[in-house]
This record gives sequence, C-alpha cells and structure tokens, in this order.
Amino acid sequence: MNTRNLFFASLLGATALWGTGAYAQDTTCTGETVTLRILRTPGNYPYPAPMEAWQKQNPCVQFEINEVPFAQLADTISVQAASSNPPDIIVYDGPNTQSYAAAGILLPITKYLPKGWDEDILPATKAEHSYEGEVYSPGIEQTTVAMYYNKKLVEAAGVKPPQTLQDAWTWPQALEAFKKCQQGTAGSPTVWGLGPTRFGNGQPGLVYQDLIYQRSAGDPKADPSSSAYKTFWALSPDGKTVEGYLNTPEAIEALKFYRSLFNSEGVAPKVGIPNAFFDGKACFYIDTPAAGNALLKDPKIEWGITPIPYFKTPIVHTGSTTIGATARSRHPEIAAKFVVDMSWGEYAYMNVSQRGNLPTLKSLFPRFAVYNSYPMKVFVDQLQEWGQPRPPGPKFAQYDKLVTDALRAVAFGGDPAELMADAEKKVQRVLDR
Amino acid sequence: MSVSNTPSQASAKTKSKTRKPATRRQKRDWMFAAGFLAPFMILLLVFQYVPLLLMARNSVYDYSLLNPAASKFVGLRNFTDMIEYDDAAVSFGVTFLFALGVVLFVIPIAFSLALFLNSKLPARGLVRTMIMLPVVTSSVVVATMWSFLLDPSNGLINGVLNVAGIGNQPFLTSTSQALPALIAMTLWQQVGFGAILFLAGLQGLPAELTEAARIDGATRRQVLWNVTIPLLSRTTLFVVVIMTVFSLQAFAPAFLMTQGGPQESTNLIVYHIYNTAFIMQQAGYASALSVVLLLVVLGISMAQMALLRSRWNY
Amino acid sequence: MKKHHMRRAFFVTLVIALILCCFLAPYAWIVASSFKNQLTLFNDVTPLSWKAFLPVGGTIENYQSLFKRTNVLTALANTAIVAGGQVALTLLLCSMAAYSLTRVSFPGAKIVFVLILLTFLLPIEALMVPLYQVVSGLGLSNTLLGVMIPWIASPFGLFLLKQAFEELPVELEDAARIDGAGHVRIFFSIVLPNVKVPMLTLGLITFLFSWNSFLWPLVIVQDPANQVIQVAIAQQGSPTQLPNWGETFAGATVATLPLILLFLLLQKYFTQGMTTSGIKG
Repeated sequence: MNTRNLFFASLLGATALWGTGAYAQDTTCTGETVTLRILRTPGNYPYPAPMEAWQKQNPCVQFEINEVPFAQLADTISVQAASSNPPDIIVYDGPNTQSYAAAGILLPITKYLPKGWDEDILPATKAEHSYEGEVYSPGIEQTTVAMYYNKKLVEAAGVKPPQTLQDAWTWPQALEAFKKCQQGTAGSPTVWGLGPTRFGNGQPGLVYQDLIYQRSAGDPKADPSSSAYKTFWALSPDGKTVEGYLNTPEAIEALKFYRSLFNSEGVAPKVGIPNAFFDGKACFYIDTPAAGNALLKDPKIEWGITPIPYFKTPIVHTGSTTIGATARSRHPEIAAKFVVDMSWGEYAYMNVSQRGNLPTLKSLFPRFAVYNSYPMKVFVDQLQEWGQPRPPGPKFAQYDKLVTDALRAVAFGGDPAELMADAEKKVQRVLDR
Repeated sequence: MSVSNTPSQASAKTKSKTRKPATRRQKRDWMFAAGFLAPFMILLLVFQYVPLLLMARNSVYDYSLLNPAASKFVGLRNFTDMIEYDDAAVSFGVTFLFALGVVLFVIPIAFSLALFLNSKLPARGLVRTMIMLPVVTSSVVVATMWSFLLDPSNGLINGVLNVAGIGNQPFLTSTSQALPALIAMTLWQQVGFGAILFLAGLQGLPAELTEAARIDGATRRQVLWNVTIPLLSRTTLFVVVIMTVFSLQAFAPAFLMTQGGPQESTNLIVYHIYNTAFIMQQAGYASALSVVLLLVVLGISMAQMALLRSRWNY
Repeated sequence: MKKHHMRRAFFVTLVIALILCCFLAPYAWIVASSFKNQLTLFNDVTPLSWKAFLPVGGTIENYQSLFKRTNVLTALANTAIVAGGQVALTLLLCSMAAYSLTRVSFPGAKIVFVLILLTFLLPIEALMVPLYQVVSGLGLSNTLLGVMIPWIASPFGLFLLKQAFEELPVELEDAARIDGAGHVRIFFSIVLPNVKVPMLTLGLITFLFSWNSFLWPLVIVQDPANQVIQVAIAQQGSPTQLPNWGETFAGATVATLPLILLFLLLQKYFTQGMTTSGIKG
C-alpha cells in the first residue's frame, strides 16, 4: 500500500516537475537550439554582457567560444574556415576582410545591415570592409595611433607639442623636437627622441605605423595618374596594381627622412626597447588609445598627446579587429544577425566601452566621455578627419609582409629607391597570381 | 639460422633455398617479421612517403591554403618561377652560407674541446656539462636568449663590448652582421654535440698508435697532425654530415629573430618555404621549393656518405 | 719547469673560465631576469653590471602572471603527454621493426631497409605542408596525437636499436627457441631486457626531441588548450596589450628547466646515445 502511494506520488511529482520544466522552456525557446561557434583572441569582444542581453532577445541561441592568441589567429582562421566544420563567427584583424571575402571565407552581410547604417558608419570602416560592392563586416571598433609625449622631459627641453589637429607638426618640425628632447649621444642616447613601437618585435617598418610617412607625402586630390595621387593611396583602387604606387619620387623623399631618423639623426632605435616610453626612456612615442587608457588607470608618468605629424597630407591608419560571419557556417542567417546586432546601437556601445578603443558609429562618439576632451579627443579627431584604412585589397596579408620588410630595411639603412622598386616587383608578383 | 661452412656448400644451399618452397618454419618467421615490421612501415609510408608524393603533386599546382579548392594546374611554372625570380636562389644561397659557416667553425672548436675533455686537465666534467646545456635547450629558448643578447642597444654582448671599449654593434639589424650572428648562435648551440662526437672518436682510438709515434720521437703537435687527426677522418666526416643537415633544416632563428631579414640576408630556406605557404598563401610554389630542398639534401647526404665509405680505415 | 707548469695552469684556467662564462652566462641572465620586475629588467644590462646575472630584488610576479594569464601549465601537461606517448610508441615500434629486420631474413628485406634509409635523409621541415594535409585529412589536426604521430616511425631509432640487436648474441634466443618459445615471447621476455641501455638512450633522445619540437606543433595545433610548451612561450603578445618581457623570460626558464634537470641526472645516457651512431658510423 505504502509503496504504491509512494510510487504514484513520485510519478505525480515527476510530472509536475516536468510540466514546469516544459512551461519554463516554452517562454525561453520555442524552436530548436542553435549553437554558434565563435573564434577570437582572448579578451576580445563580443563580451559577456552584450551577449547575454542578446540571448534574452534570441533565446534559442547558445555560444561556444574558441580563443586563440593573436599570433595564431590568421593561421587558425585559414585552417578552420576552409574546413568542413568551420566556426560560425570569426573575430579577425580588419585589413584581412577583402582577402577573406575573395577567398570565399566570409558571408556578405549587406542585406542584414540596419537602416541608417550607411550614414552612421565611419567612411574608413566601410571602405575597409567592403569588397566588390558587398559589405562583409560591419566593424565594431576602430583604433588609430597618435603621438604620446612625456610632459616632464618635453617641457624641460622647452618644446611645446601642438594639441589640436590644426596646429599639427610637420615631420621636419617633429624631428627638431625629437632632437631637442633627446638626451645623450645620437644613436645610443640615454633618452630617445622617438621611442620604438611595441607592436611585433619592436622593430620599425610595420605598415600600420610606418607606411604613413610616404603616404602623407602624397596628395589624394591630385590627378589620378600623377605620382602624388599614387603615393597617397599606395595601391590601386581595385587592389590589383602596385607598380608606380610605392616607388615614387615623393615616397623616396619621405623615406630618406624616415631612414635618417634611425641613422644619421639617430633619434629612434632600430630594435624594440621594452617599455621605453613608460620607463621615461623616450620623449615621444606612437601608440593606440590602449596606452592612454593604461596610463589613465595607472599614471606612471605625466603625459600628453600630439597629432601624428605629416609631410603634405595628414593621414593615420585605421583598422582594428572586427567581426564577421563565415560563408560555410551551418547557420548563416542567425550568425549574420548576431554579427550585425553586436555592432549596432546599445550592443555596440557595450562592446566598445569594455574594450577601450574607438567606436565605428558616429552616433556613439558622444557617449564616450573620455574621448570628448583632450588628450584622448585627438584620437577621435584623427580618426574622423585623417583616418584611412591600410591599402585594402584581397592580398593584403602579403602586401603587409613585403612592404613591412622593405620599410624595415630602409630603417636599417637601406636605399629607399632600390627597396621600394624591389617591393613593387615582389608585391606585383603576388597580385598577378 | 643455418650456418654455411664452405662457399660451395653455401652457394649450393642458397641455390636449393630458392628452388625449394619456403618451409613452414620460414613462413612463420616471415609472418612474424611482417607483423612486427608492419606498424613501423605503415606509419613510415603514411607520414613520410605519402606527404612526399603529395608534395610532388602540389608542386605543379597553384593554390592557397585559405582556399585549397580553388587550385589551378600550372605545370612547371612554379619551377621556372624559381629561376625567373631570385628569391629561391637568394634563399638557398643564404642557407648554404649558413651551413658552411657553421661547419667551418664547429669542426675546429668542437675538436679542441674534445681534446680538452680527453686530457687530464681539471674541471672536465663541469665543462662537458656546460657545453651540452645548449644542445638540450630548444631552439625557441636559444632564439629568445640570443635575441636579447644581440640587442643593439641593450644587449648583453654589446654591454660586454662596451666594457672592452668597442661601440654598440647593430648585429641583427645589419645586413652584413645578421647572418654571422645567427651562425654564432648556432655554433653556441651545437658545439657541445660536436665535441661529444669527437670525444667518442678520440676515446675509440687505440692508444698504441699515438704512443708508438711518441716513442719514435714525434712532438705532441706532430702526433696530433699526423696521427690523431687522420685517424679521426670518419668521425670528422660524420660531424660534418650532421652539422650540414642541421643547418639546412634551421627554422627557428629566421622565424623568431629576423623574419628572414634584413633584406633577406637571413632568409633560410625552411623559413622561406613556411613564409611562402602560410603568409604569402602560395602553397604550390612552397611545394616546389620543398622538392628542390629535398633533392639538395639528398644529394649532399649521399655525397657525404659515399665519401664516408671511401675513406681509409684503420 | 715549474714556471712553465704555472703558466700553463694559468692559461688553462683562463680558457676554462671563458668557456664556462660563455655557456653559463646566458642561462644565468635569463633565469635572473625572470625574477625581476619587468619594468626594471633591462636596467642592469646597460651599463653592464654583475647584477644582470643575479636575481637582485627578486620577485616571483612574472611566474605568477605566467601561470595565471597564459596557458603555460596546460602546455606543460600537453608536452608531457606528447613526449611520454611518443617515447613509449617509438620504443615499441622501433624495437619491433629493428628486431624483425635483424633476426629474420625475408624476401624484400633489402628494399624495406633502403626505404627506411632514404627517409633518414629527408628533412622533415620540407614536408610540413603536405604532412599537414595528411594529418588533418586523417582528422588529427589540433590533437595531441597529431603532434606525435609523424615521428614515431623514427629511422634513427631503428638504426640505433638495430645495432643493439646485432650485438646481442644469438645464443640466448636460440636456447629459448629450443625450449619451444615463440618469436613474440622471446622478444618481450629475453631480447628486450638485454637492450635496456640502448632503449633508455633512445627514450631520452626521443623525449628531448619531442619536448623541444616547435615547427610541427606550431603548424598542426591552433587551439591554445592543445598547444605544447615551446610554441606556448614563443607566442607574441596581442597588439592591444603591452608585451610582458618578464613573462617571456619566465616562460623560457619553465620550458627549459625540465630537460636540463633530466639531462643533469642522466647525462651518461644522453651522451652515449648521441655518440653511438658516431663511432659505429
């Protein structure tokens, strides 16, 4: 008797529980659950807060995140995206959009973009992530570089760096400032005029930072067949021709100056010096907003920001990591929706504010207080007025490596004309394939 | 199994062996051998020979690892490209120079160390341990160490040079010093191995020969040059082979320290292949380069082995 | 005579000291630097002071952040698994293959031997792209098994053990065979125990090779959870984070220490293994 009651009671109880479970499920997900696989670098967006908020709106979606260090990211993407079981969403280095699109790895998301996107998006971002008329990534954040300076060292040398874009230095003016502020013998001083980059292994030459020397010697408004025009763009608009774009008289002049920084003038080191600027071993230093945000949190030194100098036309390179949906994803519609949602409106704000870089939507800029006033406002102004993506094209990765190698060789003392001619030949060979 | 006594009996036995069908015992032996050999051979075929054939096939195609489905048959174009453009020639040239530098310096230094280790001088055990440490250290750690050692402004080597009154050297940032710097690093890493090989050779020499020479009135130096060194020719050749093959396969220094630069002065061939396949996205051309590298290594190894066989023995 | 001795002794001591310096100094520097705060790391190098070689003002924060922030611990575990597995499988397969080649003469043995000899000369780095295609085609991409499997059929191991078996007197096995034991029994209970030293040597060499391997794991493994130690410490920082040099040095120390300890303990077998092929040629 007792056992039977117990049995029925438990049956009832189980049914009740099951019923509540089913009831609970009904309010959260009516269809089948979809798992979206995301491939990204550690500490990158999309962040938990916006993702959870999005999941509330889209309850049938689960996420599986795979994180890979930045140095491995490109390799991992090429391996996984071309496989039969690709991730649905990738967070990758922005300038690769065109080459991934050309290789058929990315899904075009033009039709998923919300209304008003075209007007709100930064032109540089849209240019970078479009290929043959389609948009392949909405772009979540932007960064650019500016020149930081050590207030104490610079003021002691009697130098006053400009604080706004209108007063920005030319490179020759900047060189004077470097020389005045530097302490010790040129070429091996105790305090460098211009500190080394922290990207890569610290050696100069990276396209991201150093191609702007010659680009700023060009003129985007000149006649498209002139060398001034080509110097500025550094690659043909269709991304297929480089001959005549790197080995130009204007570029050579600019590169001679660039070479002198490391050699005859001796104001910049040829190899990385860890933490040089933060240790007070360099007066000036080029970096992204990340350094500024780190210094705001932990002010080791007194610092300021001055716009990037130029020769003829001011320019800074844009481009940061971005997000896209893979073409071979098993759930393209929902992946694309997620990608677009994360980069629009409130979700975009949540993602960008956690990361600390700049947004890509003009409407979001006023919401970031730190970017509304000096010093961080310089980044915003540069981005909006001077920002250009690195020369976009389906073979950007190769262009990047070959031109970086050439610029580095110039910094080490090589002949600019020879090296640029050689770079053109090598890059053209890759573009021709 | 069976022991032959006279040549005629042996040949008779062999003749009868081939005419008679295999005995049950022999068959069992063969099955056992097959079973024991199979796992090894299967792995060898799958992971050495299949890739070899794949590589030969890939070398006549043009494709990118990002999008392997879009491969294009290009025949011998990858190979003619190697002649038309100079990147392959430069890279092979750099690699040969590198190998030459390593071998030329390793032999005398390792040999001297071996002589020291073979003598009755103090601290032998300590020295032997010290010189072997780099051999068991990975190329990644060695490259990391030496990147900082060779730093043009902050490096330890420049620090020491400064104390001696010599100014800072550019090392890896100079087209003329980068490759020698890598050679020095590889020497540092491998000399212990060479010394151990020479030491084994020295210890295998019969002492009577050197003693006889001394009794005949030869000085130490004459003994060294006229007796010891010629007797070690086999060991020397072996060290040369090993060091050459190591150098031709070097990758980490170029990958971690110089990325092939400056201006390709350190563009070791294995790095060039990796770069071509994974960064330049030209896997077909990389395969063609690999085919040539393979042939070169095979050629060198076989030449050296032939030399080994023809050297005089004692 | 005495002066000559003293001069020689002085000269010899100088040379020994120089050698020790050259070989020990970099290690001392790396280890000492790994215990220094990353912002003051390079202060003792220019101008050069003795403090560069000692962990003056030591701190373990580099190691703490290394183990907390990066995948080094996982990588160490992975490397141990890969190295252990590779040693076990290599010893097993190579000994089996070498034994069958030594003791049994069967038709085609010569061809097999030549096939193996040829691979000895192939530089594996040249094969990495097609090897990658084969291994990922087998579904082993990004797995620990994929890291170790191409190296198990080691021609070096085969030659080493073949030599060892050739030196083993046949009488031992013949006695057992007369008693009725089969090949397999003989192999495992009589032959193998008698080649302990070459097996140990091969095991150590294989362990060394596996622990230090870099290029292949770099190519075949993408997920940091499956990565091995040499690749884990070689990875550059992300572009939005300042690189941590103290961690780099700590990582280098961690990656090298196990092998150095192993080497110091078992020096004899290491050097023996490396010279065995040398003298027999």
